[in-house]
Amino acid sequence: MKVTIKSWTGVASWRWIANDENCGICRMSFESTCPECALPGDDCPLVWGVCSHCFHMHCIVKWLNLQQLNKQCPMCRQSWKFNIH
Amino acid sequence: MAQNISPEQSGAGGSSKHNDDSLPIKDNHAVSKRLHKELMNLMMANEKGISAFPDGENIFKWVGTIAGPINTVYSSQTYRLSLDFPNSYPYAAPVVKFLTPCFHPNVDLQGAICLDILKDKWSALYDVRTILLSIQSLLGEPNNESPLNAQAAMMWNDQNEYKKYLDAFYEKHKDT
Amino acid sequence: MCDLNELWLNVLKIFPILGGEVTFPPDPIKDEVFENVYRQMSNMGIAKTITSILDMEVESAIRNVLVPKFWKHFISEGEPHKVKHDMNIAAFTDTNALFFTFIYAIDELYDAYQCLEMIKPRLFYLNQSANSTSNLNTKITLHNALLAQLPPSFNNFVCDFYCVHFRLFTKDSTLSLNTLDSEVFTELPCSGCNVDLDQCCCQKLTEMVNATNMKLLKMGLIDRLAGSALTALIKVKIKEHINDTCVGIFDRSHLKQLETWINDVVMIWLTSIFTEWKSRDDISQEKIPKSVQAFKVKLTYFMYETFAQNVISQFFSIIIDYPDSSPAIDDLKICMEKIDMRVYLTESLRSSLEARILHPGVNTMDILTGYVAAIKAIRHLDNTGVILEIVTAPIKDYLRKRTDTVRRVVTGLTEEGPTDLSEELAKGEFIKFGKDSHLNEFSDWETWEPDPFGIDPDVLKLNSSKLIRSADIISMVVDIYGSKELFMVEYRNLMADRLLSQLDFNSEKEIRNLELLKIRFGESLLHSCEVMLKDVTDSKRINSHIHGDGNCDESPLFNISSLIISAQFWPSFNKESLQLPEELENEFKKFTKAYESYKGNRTLNWRTVTGRVNIVIEIGERILEMTVPPTQAVIIYHFQHKSEWSIEELSSLIKVPPSALRRRISFWQNHGLIAEIEPGIFALLEKESEKTQFEEVSITDADEEDLESAMASASDQREEELQVFWSYIVGMLTNLDCMPIDRIHQMLKLFASHSGGVEFTQEELKHFLQRKVREHKLLFSGGVYQLAK
Repeated sequence: MKVTIKSWTGVASWRWIANDENCGICRMSFESTCPECALPGDDCPLVWGVCSHCFHMHCIVKWLNLQQLNKQCPMCRQSWKFNIH
Repeated sequence: MAQNISPEQSGAGGSSKHNDDSLPIKDNHAVSKRLHKELMNLMMANEKGISAFPDGENIFKWVGTIAGPINTVYSSQTYRLSLDFPNSYPYAAPVVKFLTPCFHPNVDLQGAICLDILKDKWSALYDVRTILLSIQSLLGEPNNESPLNAQAAMMWNDQNEYKKYLDAFYEKHKDT
Repeated sequence: MCDLNELWLNVLKIFPILGGEVTFPPDPIKDEVFENVYRQMSNMGIAKTITSILDMEVESAIRNVLVPKFWKHFISEGEPHKVKHDMNIAAFTDTNALFFTFIYAIDELYDAYQCLEMIKPRLFYLNQSANSTSNLNTKITLHNALLAQLPPSFNNFVCDFYCVHFRLFTKDSTLSLNTLDSEVFTELPCSGCNVDLDQCCCQKLTEMVNATNMKLLKMGLIDRLAGSALTALIKVKIKEHINDTCVGIFDRSHLKQLETWINDVVMIWLTSIFTEWKSRDDISQEKIPKSVQAFKVKLTYFMYETFAQNVISQFFSIIIDYPDSSPAIDDLKICMEKIDMRVYLTESLRSSLEARILHPGVNTMDILTGYVAAIKAIRHLDNTGVILEIVTAPIKDYLRKRTDTVRRVVTGLTEEGPTDLSEELAKGEFIKFGKDSHLNEFSDWETWEPDPFGIDPDVLKLNSSKLIRSADIISMVVDIYGSKELFMVEYRNLMADRLLSQLDFNSEKEIRNLELLKIRFGESLLHSCEVMLKDVTDSKRINSHIHGDGNCDESPLFNISSLIISAQFWPSFNKESLQLPEELENEFKKFTKAYESYKGNRTLNWRTVTGRVNIVIEIGERILEMTVPPTQAVIIYHFQHKSEWSIEELSSLIKVPPSALRRRISFWQNHGLIAEIEPGIFALLEKESEKTQFEEVSITDADEEDLESAMASASDQREEELQVFWSYIVGMLTNLDCMPIDRIHQMLKLFASHSGGVEFTQEELKHFLQRKVREHKLLFSGGVYQLAK
């Protein structure tokens, strides 16, 4: 007997490659959205700092905008720089 | 560990903006979403010695409960606190106060607390759980450099005397 | 002195009653005899005395002779009277003994009556010359005497008599109603006299009946003696008429016809009884006498009442026939404006619904269909919704207990089905505009309607929420569960199943449905569904990108396309697993790589057990092409290189538990490819067995397998939910000390049910808290709960 697979329609769930599950700021799952967004993924992406911590982009931007003086990572208090891959 | 600073100090300078509800009201939904989430995590974690729950229908006002840390003069006590969350939470810290009278170097007689993470060391990553844990550990490890209650700060060094005074204090405030 | 003897003889001649004689017709008397007697009597001054004696004699004769004799006919059960009549009506006579007894008795009574009536003019003559007055009133004395001795069985006789009378009278109109088939008709007996047509005696009977009626009329006895029997008879006739003409016919209005019938048949018949006999046509011109007018009011009321009861007793059929049955409902509406029947209606309807659809033999879809039809029909009857609330409460209670209700409703909403729910859903867009107007009762005062009359005010209070009352059918259906959240969770689960199993689903239709549901239930509840649908469209784009750009291996083993889901927004999957053979897994790794390079920082977790695989099996001479779920594909794939497997061996290789694996293998056993050659050992069958027909392998088999939901079922999560609730309860009692149950319930609703459709009725909560009290986790006193220390 020979079995040939012609096509396969599968199901997969996508996830961010990150070392945590939730955004520390909004507490929502990374695969979910920040509180402002309705659609996950492309519309509500993650960003990484050079300190390697990551957040929903909308959450960290809002945090940084509210810092009067030094813009720090809320996790490690190092000054925040976006890590552009 | 979190360091405490006095509320008067924090009143000066740029950090005063922290507790302002400077963000638009439309953020309420996002804030209540996070608070719901925190509540759920708190309920599920069921941590010994700390607890909190919304005071009424308003998710922005909570009541917290912490047990005095063991092996300290506060160990047999239970403290109630109020937590008021601003519309800008978690970008700004909540206002936390003792409801139960608390004789402590960094707590004044109105219940105001002097703790750095509630002021200029606030981070969006803190939550009800970490706040309550910080306050719990502050009880056993006061910062006597910048006291709100000078009498308590002075007495702190003699723990036996302090304990006696504390017991008398609670006897007096038993009903409140 | 005159001859007293002669005078007495003459007096006796004039007034035979003084001698105890009541005969008719009386002997004629010569005028001079009269004058002679009167003169002598007045001379003697005894006119007054004679008058008094006469009064007494007449009264005594009526009381002691006439009336007892008359009643005797109806009391004695003995021989009925054989009346001399034509042979023609002999057949009729036999079956209508009561009828003839009545006629005979009336004849006899009338004769005597006439005889007594004769006395009057003579007495008048006597008094005129003698200046004395008589108190004699034969009619009234007769009435009183008759009523005083009325036997209970008499009504039957009257009834029988007028029954015949009515039949004869309406013979023509029944003819016109029933002559549908003239052939059949000739074989039936005459509808008037019930005798074979060739022996019809209607003419004779009619004469008799009219004569007797006339006698009754003349004696003034119809109203007194026959009144109640007549009323009873007409009521029977009305019932019969309604049964004959209205039952089972809902698609046209009957009230006009019934009113006409009352006017043209019953009223005219009554008029004919109460007036001197005339031919039918004359009567219709006649002014209806007052006594008959009074009847009319009573009878019309009765007609409406009977008709309404009739309609109500058939209301279940009316519901099922709706909207074809709306004329019947309109009729009932008119009746209910005249007569208060709401309580009767609600009781009757509740019990018939319970008897007809609320039992285990009826499937849920049919109950739902009945429910929706009931909503529509009862709305038509009463737009305030109060009757509806009361009547449908048992249906809702019952449906709530059925486990598949939500599923059926969702299916009904999204597919064309017998409940027409999908049609209702499509109406949603239009309903939206009217919705706001219900919010403010005061601004809406012009269209305000009072609560319907005749409903228990307690019930009204319970149902007083305006929102519920003005709700549309969809809301009424969703309302079965008391919560649209729970309903939406089920909707999401079903949608997930659908999207996963029919990978060629109709996305346009799903999106349309979703939009309609959003209008109705709000965006937030359907947010997940929206993301799910977007995942589907995004997946198509990603698939075509990965296949298109040479991003994939040039020569893949097979083509992979994937539904890439945002797991947070989908219902949680069940825990089934499936380990793919390495060479297959590698293909998926390639796909994942391509995805990662397309969407930076993101990767894929494959849920291998879900999906469908198109495979070609070459076995011996045969080539089979089919689409199967992945597990089946992997099973048969492994039989390529090794034709015999023990269940444990295969189970540990592909990480499917033995029991589930056995079920999956049975798929191939059914197709004759694999057999269990000894317990737990499965082997490939290289040769075609005779009975299996591979060519007709239907994909539906595979579909059915797929229908086993990939999602964890809602009920599985219940105990988990209770545990969550308990954590919240502990949390709130720790911080807020003690609370009454309604506050706990409110807090749970506010804070614990946030993440999706968790519902907990206060009743359930009470049971739960009581359990915790028994377990000494809680204390309950003074109406509040607190944590046990």
